[in-house]
Amino acid sequence: MLSRVADCLFWMSRYLERAESVARLLNATFHRDLDLAGTDAGDDNRAWLSNLAILQQTVPDGVAAPHAIASWLTFDLTNPGSIIGCVNRARNNARGIRGTVGPEVWRAVNALYWQLRDADFEARARSSPFDYYQAVETGCHLFQGVCDATLPHDEGWQFIALGRSLERADKTLRLLAVKWTELNGLTDDSLKALEWGGVLKSANAFEAYQRAAGRVDPDKVIEFLLLDTNFPRAVRFSLEEASRALSAIDGFTDGRSNGRAERQLGRLISELKYTEPGHLVTAAFSDRLHGLLQQCLAVGRTIHDQYMLTT
Amino acid sequence: MPNVPAANLFADYSLGTAYDEMFDSAKHPRAHYRPLFERLSKLSPDEFARRKAMTDLSMRQDGVGFTVYRAEEGIERVWPMDPVPRIIPADEWSVIERGLAQRLTAINLFLKDLYQDQKILADRVIDPALIYGGGFFRREFVGADVPKGIYVHVCGTDLIRDTDGNYLVLEDNARTPSGVSYMLHNRQVLKRVFPQIFDGYDVRSNDDYPAHLLDVLRYIAPPGRPDPTVVLLSPGMYNSAYFEHSYLAQRMGIELVEGRDLVIDQNRVWMRTTRGLQAVDVIYRRIDDDFLDPLAFRPDSLLGVPGLVNVYRAGNVALANGIGTGIADDKGIYPFIPAVIKYYLGQDAILPNVETFRPMVPSHLSHILANLDKFVVKTVNESGGYGMLIGPASTAAQREEFAAKVRAHPRDFIAQPTISLSTHPTFVDGKALEGRHLDLRPFVLCGEKITVVPGGLTRVALPRGSLVVNSSQGGGSKDTWVLA
Repeated sequence: MLSRVADCLFWMSRYLERAESVARLLNATFHRDLDLAGTDAGDDNRAWLSNLAILQQTVPDGVAAPHAIASWLTFDLTNPGSIIGCVNRARNNARGIRGTVGPEVWRAVNALYWQLRDADFEARARSSPFDYYQAVETGCHLFQGVCDATLPHDEGWQFIALGRSLERADKTLRLLAVKWTELNGLTDDSLKALEWGGVLKSANAFEAYQRAAGRVDPDKVIEFLLLDTNFPRAVRFSLEEASRALSAIDGFTDGRSNGRAERQLGRLISELKYTEPGHLVTAAFSDRLHGLLQQCLAVGRTIHDQYMLTT
Repeated sequence: MPNVPAANLFADYSLGTAYDEMFDSAKHPRAHYRPLFERLSKLSPDEFARRKAMTDLSMRQDGVGFTVYRAEEGIERVWPMDPVPRIIPADEWSVIERGLAQRLTAINLFLKDLYQDQKILADRVIDPALIYGGGFFRREFVGADVPKGIYVHVCGTDLIRDTDGNYLVLEDNARTPSGVSYMLHNRQVLKRVFPQIFDGYDVRSNDDYPAHLLDVLRYIAPPGRPDPTVVLLSPGMYNSAYFEHSYLAQRMGIELVEGRDLVIDQNRVWMRTTRGLQAVDVIYRRIDDDFLDPLAFRPDSLLGVPGLVNVYRAGNVALANGIGTGIADDKGIYPFIPAVIKYYLGQDAILPNVETFRPMVPSHLSHILANLDKFVVKTVNESGGYGMLIGPASTAAQREEFAAKVRAHPRDFIAQPTISLSTHPTFVDGKALEGRHLDLRPFVLCGEKITVVPGGLTRVALPRGSLVVNSSQGGGSKDTWVLA
């Protein structure tokens, strides 16, 4: 497989996963604001500033009110990190592989782009954003489904899986890092439950968590999102998926890579795997999350060096 | 005209002086159009508009069209397809088919001669100055061998019809002709949105074009490569024909590569893959000669592959089309193609040229200058409808400008009488069918044998009265049916 094509597949998948993450995060924040409407917590833009931190975004001058931040993160094509910006970048990558993958994959990405760019659809979304976020989620699920159902599960498909799982691990780690700092001083139990419930919803994990652990408890939420072995957006699960994709790719590429990314990833997974349950959230928890995030980024860089910079 | 209900798509259809594809001069549908005419007559304009909207949506979702880039966002201009198909009966097609095969056979013999022995120049059939003065003649390739002696593997020849319905060759495209993906895709879209109109017709399939093209590409592989690696070299996604490049690569199951994916080492071409470098044997290149190799041609080209031409010369990689084929579709050489056919094949051209005047001939020059308001004047090295003067639609100032240019650079121009291209019912303004001018570009492949896939790209000029069908100038397209 051409290195450039591998790169396009990887980033097409990552950007769409990112668009979906942003949509879910913003959707959860709108719900949170409505749940807290009329209270002090409902009136400030604390959650929106956290969103910017999670997405590593800096708003332009004059954008401070929640709805302005939401617009900037949703519709603004000049913001590469906005939903439409991510879908646009995914689409540009999809365009780069049109000659390689079947027409269905391109059509899935292209149709989502045009649905979101429709002027009427966007106008309706500005007053009632939920349909928009729903469309993004559905469109991204459709994309992943089309990839699974129409592509041979070969090297290229593994790069799609790799991009998706690394993006999930990255986003969940950032979500936890920012939210833990923001919320760990809360004392009001019902507010705590609502806020951490929002964190779960941002990762589409609310129902799965409840079945696994019952009531919303911050420590358990963190443990679930970090260590669960079955939930798709849990960090450990995502990294194990990434690891499977990497070893499959190494199989396809005759072991040319020397497995450096795989070993880095293996160490990271081991660290999560052998964590003592119940002893996760300690005083240095924030540093630990940032350490995990750095390792995650290092894996991404190694993948790029190994497979996409062929000379 | 037979009785038709009031709100009929053909209610205001009028015939001009041009040959109409569907109707004869008494406004009766020609025999091969009758089933289509009857079906369309039963459709309301609203129903037809709905089908047209489905066509447009389908084209947009498939991302069929041209891309113009602005900052972050790609502006896609979908190339509009008109849902009324153009129909060519079997007897007409068999003449076209023979004519195109004859023409490409002669063109390949011509190029081989030009780059080898130059007998045709020695025999003064063509003035050598015309060849050496042509912008697309690559004198550095004189004496070089090309795989299987074939220069043009893919040719797109533009045909038009005069007022009597005769097919004439307007021009050959022997460099990197495009449009075949639209021919293939239009059929797919029409089947999807308008399956009923195929009833009563035995339309020949064009769907095996990519398979034939792949056969040609594999045939020209350097010797000793029984299972050659074939790639399509594209300038990349910002190129206006990128849809076609990706479509063909996908349909042939070959890699679509860009210049940056390829590297030259040990006089071989390699592509960069996740497994390291992999050898490439045949390149279907969709990049013009000028941009192919910055070491051989334009040094500022970032699209090509440095050193590629050397590998080609050494016979270690095959290119389709070959380098230097542009001299054969140079409009300044076009008037000689019937003589070229005669010279190499001893036959008269089955498909005639459009009558053409060359300013280099003094009597032609005075004739052109005296009749500028009736002629179409074309720049020989331009395509896409650029650099043209359409006499009847021109202003006195434009004619002045062209007269001066033609006098100063006679080799750079040709002049032809304005031919009123044939017309065809076309859906306009979302409400009715009107006659619009069109042409036809069939695609001819040359490998072990010559293959003309039944059909071609029919381009239609959408503005009323316009004779310019190019996509860059407001043209659209139609599905083209060749009947069995």
